[in-house]
Amino acid sequence: MAAIQKTKQPKKKKVKKEDEVTFAPGVVSEEKKKRLKKLDEFIEGVLQEAGEEFLDEFKQIEGE
Amino acid sequence: MSIPKVVGIEQEYAIKIKGEDGLSAFDASCMLVNAYARKVGLREPGMGMIWDYGHETPYQDIRGQLFGKSTGQEIISEEENRLINASLPNGARLYTDHAHPEYSTPECLSARETVACDKAGERILLEGLRLMNEILPSSEIALFKNNIDHQGHSYGCHENYLMEAETHEDYLVSSPQKALETLIPFLITRQIFTGTGKVGGAGTGPQKTPYQISQRAEFMEVLFGLETMYARSIINTREEHHADKKRFRRLHLILGDANMCEFAGFLKVGSTQIVLQMIEDGFIIEDFTFKDPLNAIKQVSARFDSQVELADGRKSTAMELQRRFLERAKEYRKIKNVPHVPEVDSILECWAYALEGLEELKLSSDFNLENDPMEIKRRLDWVLKLWLINRYRQGKNLDWDHPKLRVLDLQYHNIDAREGIFYQLQDQGLTENMLDDTEITRSVWEAPTDTRAYFRGKCIEKFPKEIRLVNWEVMSFDQGEIYRMVPLLNPLKGTREQFQEVFEKSRDSRELLALIEASSTG
Repeated sequence: MAAIQKTKQPKKKKVKKEDEVTFAPGVVSEEKKKRLKKLDEFIEGVLQEAGEEFLDEFKQIEGE
Repeated sequence: MSIPKVVGIEQEYAIKIKGEDGLSAFDASCMLVNAYARKVGLREPGMGMIWDYGHETPYQDIRGQLFGKSTGQEIISEEENRLINASLPNGARLYTDHAHPEYSTPECLSARETVACDKAGERILLEGLRLMNEILPSSEIALFKNNIDHQGHSYGCHENYLMEAETHEDYLVSSPQKALETLIPFLITRQIFTGTGKVGGAGTGPQKTPYQISQRAEFMEVLFGLETMYARSIINTREEHHADKKRFRRLHLILGDANMCEFAGFLKVGSTQIVLQMIEDGFIIEDFTFKDPLNAIKQVSARFDSQVELADGRKSTAMELQRRFLERAKEYRKIKNVPHVPEVDSILECWAYALEGLEELKLSSDFNLENDPMEIKRRLDWVLKLWLINRYRQGKNLDWDHPKLRVLDLQYHNIDAREGIFYQLQDQGLTENMLDDTEITRSVWEAPTDTRAYFRGKCIEKFPKEIRLVNWEVMSFDQGEIYRMVPLLNPLKGTREQFQEVFEKSRDSRELLALIEASSTG
């Protein structure tokens, strides 16, 4: 139980832009499906390109 | 009495090299720096501009000699100096730090411009990389704006804030307990909106959660300290103020993450500006001292809604403490009007939105995003990355320790949009952007107009062949028989308002300095 007083802020209505793609569950629009599919394809490509040696090659020397 | 909160960000970029046997990270970084410097006309024959290390004192501690080191800085040749450094017409510094390319933004007054300059840095690095790839077409070099390599190493995204000398001395030297009561609790808890997230644990952290909200938190080992590569501190005490020490001090922070989300970067800088100004005006009077601050920073990073114990026995979440800071900031806004922080209302609004979004955010015990009604994942890196990782992990039925998740974690920060996952998310409309593209483009080429960065940037743009030395606090010109030095000890002077006219009238540095002298004596 928190001892510090919490002041609840009034809820803000989120203004939705026309080209905004929501992550919210529920109805999945065709546009959202299309964009998520593109994202998935992109990620597969990135992982394939990276290959198994990616993490070993990433080793860094620390800076100041 | 508060003063304007001039801000600068120093970002160390991770560099990954594939192919080109024998090309070291240091060599690649220097090639990149010089490829970009050449593009902007800073490597013409006869140019003698070098970085002035004479004003850097990395071994001196604000708390006195007892804490510092006795060794001096290393001396490098002019040739090495130019190999490593490029001072740019936008007022920034692009250089090689150990084996990283590093970009220091010019001094900014507003949080929004700071983010624009930070993003401009990404574009400059990317352009340097493109030019370098023309020279070495068989190389595969990539740059990442992050803070960990998943092999136990961490590198920084350092923040610098201008502070009024008396408060800085009081809080960090004479009475550090004051920093423990206010500033340190703020910095420890702000990671709930500044963290960029990371898969798994690394380093020495005791918390082994599958995902942490901050990349830097578990590398913090001391409260106050000079070091940046080991024994890292929440408050760095390097005595290097880059300004008139009697009036100004630099608060040097090394605990922050490198934000990709513009909203998170804006809120990180803006909220810190407001809190520092409140501290200078004596407006924060509550005592939020943590019982164990170094454990608290790791505890919050491991679980953003965890209860953390205060020194007086109370327990609080990071969100509750941040809510107290925000409420105090709103009161301050009403009473004091926050004259020195540009876009203060926008910062307060974003701060409130982030906290409300986080209060409604629900994670499962396995770190699944169960509820995010305000879509805070569009705005905060650690939530966006968590959504991304979980989406992939669940789709492929992978355990949290699968190496592909660490690859995704790193590739989120790749600054090349062809491979960088953050930029793919942005392209797909899955992030909330704040900046116009024109703001970033302008920051690639032009310095902020309301700080001394304007003077530095204009000198480099107009008279690069005449410049001898550059540093944050000085410009020096080689005028043949004499070197002439212009001190820039006040970060708030050297603005466009003061100097636009003399730059327009001057054909060389002699005329510039003559006009400045005439205006100061006349």
